[in-house]
Amino acid sequence: MTELYAIIIFLFALFLLLGSSVWVGLALMGVAWVGMELFTTRPAGDAMITTIWTGASSWTLTALPLFIWMGEILFRTRLSQDMFRGLSPWMRFLPGGLLHTNIAGCTIFAAVSGSSAATLNMVGKMSIPELRSRGYPEYMIIGTLAGAATLGLMIPPSLTLIVYGVTINESITKLFMAGVFPGLVLAGLFMAYIVVWHFFGTGDRPQKEPSMPFSKMIKESLFLVPVMGLVCVVIGSMYLGFATATEAAAVGVVGALILSAVQGSLNWSTFSVSLMGATKTSAMIALILMGAAFLSLSMGFTGLPRAMAELIESYNLSPVALIAVLTVFYLILGMFMDGLSSVVLTMAIVEPMIRTAGIDLIWFGIFLVVVIETAQVTPPIGFNLFVLQGMTKHEIGYIAKTAIPMVGLMLLMVVILVIFPELATWLPENIRQRN
Amino acid sequence: MRDWQPFLGLPLWFWLFVIPTLFALICLFYPSKAKRLMHRIWPVMDRVYLAFGILSAIFMVIILLLIVGQMVARWTNTVFPGGTEFAGYAMACTSFFALAFALTQGSHIRVSIFLNMNGFLKFWLDAFAMLVSAWTATYFARYAVKTNFLSEVLNDRTQGLDQVPEWLLSLFAMTGQWPWEWGATWSNTTSELVYTPVWLPQIAMSIGTILLAIAIWDHLFRLLAYRETRIFREAIE
Repeated sequence: MTELYAIIIFLFALFLLLGSSVWVGLALMGVAWVGMELFTTRPAGDAMITTIWTGASSWTLTALPLFIWMGEILFRTRLSQDMFRGLSPWMRFLPGGLLHTNIAGCTIFAAVSGSSAATLNMVGKMSIPELRSRGYPEYMIIGTLAGAATLGLMIPPSLTLIVYGVTINESITKLFMAGVFPGLVLAGLFMAYIVVWHFFGTGDRPQKEPSMPFSKMIKESLFLVPVMGLVCVVIGSMYLGFATATEAAAVGVVGALILSAVQGSLNWSTFSVSLMGATKTSAMIALILMGAAFLSLSMGFTGLPRAMAELIESYNLSPVALIAVLTVFYLILGMFMDGLSSVVLTMAIVEPMIRTAGIDLIWFGIFLVVVIETAQVTPPIGFNLFVLQGMTKHEIGYIAKTAIPMVGLMLLMVVILVIFPELATWLPENIRQRN
Repeated sequence: MRDWQPFLGLPLWFWLFVIPTLFALICLFYPSKAKRLMHRIWPVMDRVYLAFGILSAIFMVIILLLIVGQMVARWTNTVFPGGTEFAGYAMACTSFFALAFALTQGSHIRVSIFLNMNGFLKFWLDAFAMLVSAWTATYFARYAVKTNFLSEVLNDRTQGLDQVPEWLLSLFAMTGQWPWEWGATWSNTTSELVYTPVWLPQIAMSIGTILLAIAIWDHLFRLLAYRETRIFREAIE
């Protein structure tokens, strides 16, 4: 009975605080405080600070600001533009033409940036004007971009996966590795969709791209080399066990700084803007994590997570059914809040459930990212939609409609992940551990 | 409420929660007076937030240097004792120092679905949300400071291998002492390394959370005085 009261009170406080637009991190703290005061005799404030301090001063977390910073450097300097320039010669011959640059651009930028909004912003800034001037239909430009930007969270580095890993105490390197193949498969699905549209679409495909001399293709693609090299070093060092996730992030920052310095686009203003931008974003995530740490402590005291896990167990749901339920749950949750917040908000409850059901937590992280990202391109609240709206001045509704096929593909991806879990689990099981 | 000792004759919670709330009411009912009173303070506060944002950025660079240092140490087979702990402290410093700055720049996430419904909600819901946030942040700050003092009293030391020079501790300890106690402190200070006491890095938590609470109160006052939010965010992050 206590559990029922606990659920009702928690949910009421949560909806009240979040709905009234209290900042997410502070709202979580508020809810946690209510729980502590009502269900325990422990002094809430002292317990709160002990938990928050332990979490905030942990070494694992340092990967977060560094990866954010690395993405910021690439975003603020000319490195990413160059990368884009090197990419387009190879896409022009594919059926569907330069639309593929949206997908490939997002895939590569995703490998240096941990956020889908940054990926979207970066690629969209360059591809939208280009594709429009070549007469590609607007709905394809925007739809493919909205979908492909979600790769930002799948392909390592990924801020959501860092936050997930820190919350449930799993290896961030393993989570990153788990994201590689599903990310590539998803990118493949998007590209296949463009090809299918090209052959079977309504016929509004643009004219074929003019051919380009081979020597020029080679010359242009040299622009890809620096960023691709950085991607290989960062991901490769983690895969081969030379570096932990944090160290790979540090290598990434140093590499990005060196590359942009060599290229000549690193100056005091780009440096300081990227650093301050990273500071703000990492403080934002830190506040959410602080709130989440306190909330999960508080929930632990109420016994709610264990009760929920037992409840789910008593239903005898098969893992597939549980995953289906959670998919719907996260899609609905994602309609109202951003991905990071929905991860930290739910993990205290969902983690015991997943463990009891015997689902691999690394796999679940990837599943979570796909579902949450799907929610980011569905209205009313979809962060990617907002970014695209700011860039294209289209209505949210229109952007959401163009993204519907991509949402379908992402849900297909969830099904693929369920059928072939090895896609996510094979690589992390085969990385070399540093001894 | 047993945890709130009296301060200047009134319980501490009265000073921390009631007085700022009363001031917020003044801002609501006498906006022009509040503006006249505060308009010189606001630019100063903005600089303070920015200054701590910059301090936080410096600590982010320090994280980078510490981690690179650790890697170099590993390659050259030397030891860098306590490197992980120091990186953790630097992490706490970046996070806490930038909290207020990120708030004033509109970087913290909130669920804005009801907020953007109409003009009425935009003002009143924002005011309500800021008031609740301000209370929460004040509570957070109050216990952060309490824990900080407690760590000092209990002489809580690190669990790791990280050591700091003792003079650094004395330097920070001076700020919490009367000037006539400084001589005694320094005469007891040796030039040796000691295991890091937890209170030292926790100072960042105390300062950062206090600043966050101040920033939220500050922006609540601004919201009420100007009748619109003064938190502007970049168009696209």
